[in-house]
Parts: sequence; structure tokens; C-alpha cells
Amino acid sequence: MMWLFKDPVLAAACTGTWLPFLAMLVILIFTRRNQRLSAGISIASIVTSLICAIYLFTKLFHAGVPVQYEVAWAMTPDLYVPFGYLLDPHSLLMLLIVATIACLVQIYSVGYMAGDPGFSRYYAFQSLFAWAMLTMVIAPGMLQLYIFWELVGLASYLLIGYYYEKYSASQAGKKAFVVTRLGDIGFFLGLIFLMLGYGDLGILNINQAAAGHQIPGPLVTISALLIFCGVIGKSAQFPLLTWLPDAMEGPTPVSALLHSATMVAAGVYMMSRIFPFFAASPDAMAVALAIGTVTMLLASTMAMATYDLKQVWAYSTVSQLGFMVMGLGAGGYFAGVFHLTTHAGFKALLFLCSGMFIHEFHTNDMRVIGQSGGRNLKVPMISMTIGALALSGLFPFSGFFSKEAIMGVLAQHTNKVWLFAGLLGALMTAYYSFRLIFFVALPRKLATVPAEDHGHGHGADHGDEHHGNAYWAMAWPVMFLASVTCVLGFFQAPLEQFLTGGHAAAAAHGAGQEGAGHGMGHYVLLAGAIGCALAGLAWAWVEFGRKRAPQEGFLKKFPLAEILFARRWYLDDFYRKALDTLVYGGLTSLFTRNDRRVIDGAIDGICKLTVGTGRMTSFMQSGMLQYNLLVMVAGIGLVLLFFFI
Amino acid sequence: MASMELASFPILSTILLSTIVALLVIMLIPEDRPKLVKQVSLGFAALGVVLSLLVYVSYDVDKGGLQFVERFLWVQSIGIYWFTAVDGINAPMLILTAVVLFTGVLTMWELETRVKEFFALMYLLVAGVYGVFMSMDLFWIFVWYDVSLFPMYPLIAIWGGTRKEYGAMKLTLYLLAGSALILPGILYVWAVGGGHTFDLFELQRMGLPAHVQRIAFIMLYLGFGILAGVWPFHTWSPVGHVAAPTAVSMIHAGVLMKLGAYGILRVGMTLCPEGLGYWADLMALLATIGIVYGAFVGLAQTDLKYVIGYSSVSHMGIVGLGLATMTVDGINGAVFQMFSHGVMTALFFSAVGYIYDRTHTKMIPELGGLSNTMPVASAFFIIAAFCGVGVPCMSSFWAELLVFISAVKTYPVRGVLAVISLVVSALFMLRVVQKTFYGPRNERWEHIPDVPLALATPRIILVGILVFFGLFPRLILDVIQSAVVPFVSSL
Repeated sequence: MMWLFKDPVLAAACTGTWLPFLAMLVILIFTRRNQRLSAGISIASIVTSLICAIYLFTKLFHAGVPVQYEVAWAMTPDLYVPFGYLLDPHSLLMLLIVATIACLVQIYSVGYMAGDPGFSRYYAFQSLFAWAMLTMVIAPGMLQLYIFWELVGLASYLLIGYYYEKYSASQAGKKAFVVTRLGDIGFFLGLIFLMLGYGDLGILNINQAAAGHQIPGPLVTISALLIFCGVIGKSAQFPLLTWLPDAMEGPTPVSALLHSATMVAAGVYMMSRIFPFFAASPDAMAVALAIGTVTMLLASTMAMATYDLKQVWAYSTVSQLGFMVMGLGAGGYFAGVFHLTTHAGFKALLFLCSGMFIHEFHTNDMRVIGQSGGRNLKVPMISMTIGALALSGLFPFSGFFSKEAIMGVLAQHTNKVWLFAGLLGALMTAYYSFRLIFFVALPRKLATVPAEDHGHGHGADHGDEHHGNAYWAMAWPVMFLASVTCVLGFFQAPLEQFLTGGHAAAAAHGAGQEGAGHGMGHYVLLAGAIGCALAGLAWAWVEFGRKRAPQEGFLKKFPLAEILFARRWYLDDFYRKALDTLVYGGLTSLFTRNDRRVIDGAIDGICKLTVGTGRMTSFMQSGMLQYNLLVMVAGIGLVLLFFFI
Repeated sequence: MASMELASFPILSTILLSTIVALLVIMLIPEDRPKLVKQVSLGFAALGVVLSLLVYVSYDVDKGGLQFVERFLWVQSIGIYWFTAVDGINAPMLILTAVVLFTGVLTMWELETRVKEFFALMYLLVAGVYGVFMSMDLFWIFVWYDVSLFPMYPLIAIWGGTRKEYGAMKLTLYLLAGSALILPGILYVWAVGGGHTFDLFELQRMGLPAHVQRIAFIMLYLGFGILAGVWPFHTWSPVGHVAAPTAVSMIHAGVLMKLGAYGILRVGMTLCPEGLGYWADLMALLATIGIVYGAFVGLAQTDLKYVIGYSSVSHMGIVGLGLATMTVDGINGAVFQMFSHGVMTALFFSAVGYIYDRTHTKMIPELGGLSNTMPVASAFFIIAAFCGVGVPCMSSFWAELLVFISAVKTYPVRGVLAVISLVVSALFMLRVVQKTFYGPRNERWEHIPDVPLALATPRIILVGILVFFGLFPRLILDVIQSAVVPFVSSL
């Protein structure tokens, strides 16, 4: 154990990642019955992780070169799987983001989950998630990254299906796991091909080798595309985006943690992690750009047609992830990562605010919340507006800076279609965000308030009495995130320096494109992007905000479009149908019938044949003299035949 | 030093002998002392765990090869040797057998009908299993193999459940058909080798002619393959699992099926490397079909034990695929998978056993919402399901990783198909978990208590092993490959 004291960096990395794992074990094995203690252990461990992350960040801020530790986790003559830590600017930043959000969410959950019968289980799963995610972030090799990526998926499955009594929740958990698994198959195959073709899966090595054209081009393209399948699954890109909106069945803090800031961001993180590798294949980058764009636009349309508070933010998450993938696909390493950073902050903020409303009003319907006086909850109302402004990309909130960065990259692209798609996306984002804000903050007398309760998050098993402490346990993290959202944008320059400075290969790629974004064109672009966002805001104001607003979207005039958007472009129906006909109705029933009829049928047939033959021969032993004589004569005949011929 | 002293002590024979002593002691205990029978069984099972762990820990990985060798001539005229030894392949199998027996005895702690006969037959079964795993003489391998098959019939037919007579009969007939292929295969090899030795390694060194190897290998492969659940000879296994009582299912799926795969590796592949080369393509094909097929059929099952049975077919297909690659990683993975799958299915059946004992049903549609009333009992099944899905940091993940990598390398199309079927296996495991354990509180099971600590112990041990080797794969992988690396280079 002496090495721990000799190298404080390694000690911090170990402590920061393994402590949550220990917390999970302790909670599951020993303290399950004591809810307070369980929560305390979990929070203590994540706070320690956060301290370690901050320590590592500050300590290695000026280090320049990546710090790497590894030991052999599994080793055979043909395969080497290291376990270790790679501390470079990108992983340090992500470590800090994940630890911060996880810490805030766990503190917030003390209030939100208070009184829940599965409180300890909840914190055990949160710790499992923290362990998996933190270790994934600082993995030095792709296989370790994949392993913890899968564990993140497991934790996500457990947390989405947390209210397992509810069919919709267990269904959503299963869906999330299976759909992301579908993408992970591609990821896994991509890694296998890369390993068989190149032989090494160290992140630094493959980045360097791909940038230096030491890996054959076709191999890079094929494995990059396969690995991108993992991003499609995890970051809910088209066509696998349908699991994420359903994942809102989990408790709201889980939505904030997993399905906005960390788990779904893992896909984008992984892509940016091996960005030089992706960048070495223009085809893979083009596919990523196209997929990101389609995802962003589709999800934005879906968000315009729902009245569920969490659904809107879920769709906007999908849409923003698509936007990040666009940024990366267009070659903007820093732009994508920076948007990932700011988005983690403001999206967690939006979800946590929504959670406070849902906790208060026991409904997810934005109209009902508005009617019931949602705006009287000052902290979440103001914070959610800040979050929505950031999401729309308005100055001076963090989203503005990162969106501008991506727009700048898109503008550099030779094909301007992507830029216009981006601007259209910005318009729609502002529209649906403020549609929600106006519904909650400026309710109008409506004839169309739904009578039934759309309660999703959690039902009547929550008491209403815990206002004091619970409210503030939730309010503090929200206010903290709101202030981060206000100031984070101004740290763009030092972050860019920090990230691209250490990442030599990325700098070579990024600088050429991002640096050129200044000058006259830059201001036109700036005006265009802000204009789009303001137009969206104004549009929402006309339809939902102003005094005589009809509070009915323009979509009402296009019922077909509204149905299409609300049914998620029939993607779910398509998968359902495919699953029913191909899997359940097709191969499964075919194979099952084969098992019963053909294989077992043949075996049972052989048995019947044996029994039947036995029965036939048993007739010979009937004691009837003439049969016996007949057999005897036939036998003698056969023997004679044998001897004479 | 310890290993030096141990080397002179016949520890392997002691393990084998202890099961036979246990059998005799149990038979001597009066009928009306069932408690004592269980205590004696548990004591001997614990002894087995200690001894096999001792062998495992003191096995010298750096030296490799056969260790703890006991070899002396038994019948000179036809060359039968008492030859037991341990290498990296069977050392984990001995632990597996010991652990599954130990946890199986604990799982059956509540048995009330004909306790004495049950445990006596279990020990007879396990003696056969130990015998096959440690013998290096073809004659003894065959004898112990049949010793392990015989007790299955009474164990299922007397203590079994659903369609027990049919299941027991089907299983016995299938396995005897397997024996009927193995015995001529072994005798053929023995006769071609001159008819004066049954020593596995002597025969290997002789190097049989290629055409002999081809014929012998297919006989040995199919003979042992039936027990390993190779498609399309797998249908006895789900039926047998369903019919068998809990501990028998545990030993049957956890250890006995491994006996088949072990036989292919130890006898077939060692003696007939050229035959293996000739038939490997077919092996890989059957294994891949088994992997995909088992997952799909599992999707349609409504009986918990059938689901596990078909998942076994799928997972044993992974073992077969690994063996068929003839690469270091493939065989490493196959042996690792034999171990992990053994522990995993033991956990599965053990978990279902508790549920079935209390609810008297294992039909998925009748269950549901069990997590509400018995969270710990449910957790065991759910953890086993995660392991079956191939979640990392559980031991079967590593096995599957190794097998899939070498399968994609050797048989690209089949390897990719096998990887894709992981989605289906995830779907069918999670579907079962959802339908059985999630959902609203079910009043029918309201009164059922959660697992008491005593009954949870065996399941905790099994979970612990899965996670332990999942986190520290080298502790087993290094041992396995100390035998596999020289083995592959001799192919």
C-alpha cells in the first residue's frame, strides 16, 4: 500500500473511483435497513470523489503531458487488457463534470426521495453508477472504456426501473438496456476488428496511429463506423433515440444525472475521446454529421408536441446530443466538448427544477403545473428560466458560447446545409423551451386542462409534509447549477487552451477550423444564431406568452404533423412491429416449433419405433407352436444359406 | 515448500475417496436421523472445498504441466493405469465441483423425503464427476463418466417435479447414447495405439494416423457433446433441468454439462488434433447455431427452469465455439466459460429453487412482483441474469470476451452472428426478470418470507465467486492458460 502515499495523483484517482464502489457494497450488504446511514455513506463517498477530482484537476492543470497508470487486468499471449487511469485534460474535465453533477444529484435526492421505501437501494445504485461512470471517464484503453460503459448501462437500467412495481418503468428500463445493447454490439465488433487489425486499443496509441496514417484507411473507417454505433445507442441518436424519452420513468434526479448530464453524454464523450481516430476517416465523420443533424431536427419536432415537462427536456437532450455530434462530425473537437460541458450544467439544472415542480404538484403536465401556481415556487421558476435561456443559446448564459462555437464550426464546413439545419434547430429549441416556460409561468384560463392526472415520476406514496428541509436540500443544488450556468461561458478561452493545448492531434485539426471563425463572417453568424433564438422566443411569446395568447401551438393547425411528432415519427411503432414479427413471431416461434416437432418429434419417433419393434417381436413369444416352428425353419434355412453360398 | 510436501501426499485420491467415504457413512446413518445426514454431507462437501482450493492455490503456475501426479499400473495386460493429475484446465473444474456440491447441499437443507438416499446418490454422482475431472487414463475416464450418469435417473425420477419420469428417461437414454459413442471411440484409439495402454498422454505421444483421428474424434465429440448440450442434441437438457430437484439441477447444469465439454477437450482434442482440424468447422457451426437458437427459444418459454435450460444451451454453445477456434484465447475462454457458467447456473437454479419451494410454481405468468415480498431472493436471480447477459465485472464476461474475439478472428461470419445474438440473450433474460420479479405487489405471495440468512448463504457464496473472478480474472485465467498455451502449440 506504500505506493498510494508515494504518488498522491494515483492515490486520488484510485480513491475517487473506487470509493463509490465500496459504498455500494457496504450499502447493499450491511446498511440496507438504515436509510439515513446508507444515504450518508453514498454522499460521503461521492463528495470525496469530487474532492479528488478537483484535486486532480488543479494539480494536473498545467501538467501538459497526459499521466497514465496501468496494470494488467487480463493477459493472454494474444490479448492484453489493462486496467488503469489516463489523466489528460479531457478526462480531467469530464471527471470534474461527472463528480460535480453526481454529487449535486445525490444531495438533491435526499429531499426528493425522502420517505421512499427503497431509499437505500436508490443510493446503492447511485454509487454503482458513479463508480462505473468515473472509471469509464479515465479509462486509458478502449476495452476498459467499453467494460465500464456497459456497467453504466447496467446502472442506468436499474435506476430507470427503480419503481419496479410500475409496468411502464420496468418496461422502460428493459428497453433502454436492450436498445443501447444493440448499439454496443457495433461498438464491441468495432473494437474487435480494430484489435485484430491493429493490435492495440490504448486511447493515446490509436489516436496517434490513426492521425499518423499507421492504421489502414478502410480499417479505420469500418471500425470508426461500428464504434459510432455505440454512440448512437448510448447518446440516443437516430435511429435508436426512442429509449431516452421512455427513460424518464425513473425518478427525476435520475433523469437529471443519467439522461442529461452523464450517461447519455458518455457516447459523445467516447467519440471526442478518440476524436483524432474518427477524424482520420472523412466518411465516418460525414456519417456522424448527418446522423447528428437528423437526430437534432427530429427530436426538436418531438419536443414541440408534448405537454410532459420531463419529456420536453428529454427530447431537448436528444436534440442537443445530436448537436454535439454535429459539432464533432464537422471537425470541431473543442466545440463539441465545450457544448457537452455547458449542456451537462444547464440540462441537469432544468431537470432538477422540473423535479421540484413534480415533487410539489405530483404531475408532469406543464399545463396543470401552471394552473396550480407553479410560478409561486420562486427558486425553480427563476432557475428554470435561466436554464431555458442557456438552452436557447442566449447571451450571457453558458449555452450561448458553446452553441456559437459549434455554429462557427458548421459555418466552416463547405456544405452550408448543416449550418442552416443548425440555425433551424436553434429556432425550434427556443420555441419549445419557452413554450414550456410560458405554460408554467403565465397560465391562462383554459378549457383544455386535462382532467386526469398524468403523474409519472412518483405517485401518492409520497407524503406532502416534508417541505422545509426537503425543499432546501433540493433548492441548493439548483441554485448552484443556475449560477454555474450564468458564468461558465466566460471560461471558454482558458478551457480551450487547456483542452486543445494538451491534445496535440486535436489542436492540429481543430485550430484550423475554429480559429478561422473570427472576422466579418463571425459577426454575421453571431447575429444569425441569436436572431434565430430570439425569433423562436418571440414565436413562443405570441402563441403562449402574451396576454391574449391562445396557448395553442401552431401545430394544432396541422393535426397530421402533430400526430407524427407526438408519436415520435412512428419509430416506436416500427420497432414494436419489427420485434413482434421478426423476433417473437418469426425466429422464436420457428425455433420453438422446430424444437418440439422436428427434434423432439424425431427422438420420440425413434423411441416409438423401438417400442413398436419390441411389441412386434414380442408376438413371436406368444407360445403358439406354428409360429415357433415357422421361425425355426426360417432360421435353419438362413444358416444353411450362409454355409452353402 | 508446501507444494513439495503436498506433492508426495495423494491429495487427489483423497478428494475422490472422501466422496466415497461420505457415501458409505451416509448409508450407515439410520433412516430417522435426516439432520445428521445433512450435517455429514455438508461436512464432507466442505472438506472437498478445502482440499480442492488447496490444490488450486498450491498449483505452481510458472511450472505448469501436470502436478500432483499419482500414477501406477493397475491392470498390466491391457495397460490400465491409476493416473490422476491436475493441470490448469481441471484445477478450476475441481473447485467448481466442490463449490456446487457444497452450495447444493446447503440449498437442499429443507429436504424431507428420503433424505438419506438423496444425499447418498448425490455423493455417488459427485464421485463420478471428480473422477472424470482428475483421471488421465481413458479407462477410468469412461468408468467415472458412467458412474456420474447412473444416479441421475433415480435422482430425477424420485425427487423430481414436472414430467419427472419422462425427463429422467429422456436424459438417461440420451446420455447412454453418448456413452455408446464414447466407449467404441476410446476402444478404437486404444486398439490402434497397440492395445497396451489407456494412458491418455502416452496415446497422445504416439500420434495416431490421420484417418483414425477423424473417425475417433467425431465419435468422441458427439458422445461427449450430447452431455455438453451441443445443438441439435440438446433437448434432453431443458427437460431434464425442469424435472430435476434443485440441487440436482445445480449439479447437472453446473457441473455435469461441463463434463461433456471437458471430455471433448481432454480426450477428443488431446488425442485427435488432426481430427479436430477436420471437424472444427462443423463444431463451430453447431456451436453458433446453439448460441443463437438457445437465445431465441428461451424467449418463448414460460417456465423459469426451461428459460435457464435454454440459456444453458446458448452458453454452452459459447464453450463449443471457443474450443472450435483452436486458438489460445478461444480455449482459454471456453474453459473460463465452463467455470463461470457452472457457477452462474448453480446460482440460477438455487434462486429458482427457493422460489419454487415457497410458491410451488415456476410458471412465469403466475409469478410476478416477487421483488416486493422477497427482495433478497429475487436479487439472486437478477444477479445471475446479469451474469447471463454478459455484464462486465462478472466472470462470464471475460470468458465471452475471449471466445468472441477469437471466434471473430477464426470464423468471422459465425463470430459476428454469435456477438449479435447477445442482444437476444439480453432481451430474454430481462424479459424473465421483468415478468417474474417486477410489477405490482402480488397478494398471492404476500405471506412468503424472504430468504433467511442460512438459506441465503449458498447463494451469497455463488454471487461472491462470480463477482470476485469478474474483478480479478487473472486469478483464474493465468492458471487456465498455463495449460492451454502448451496445449495449443501441440495442436
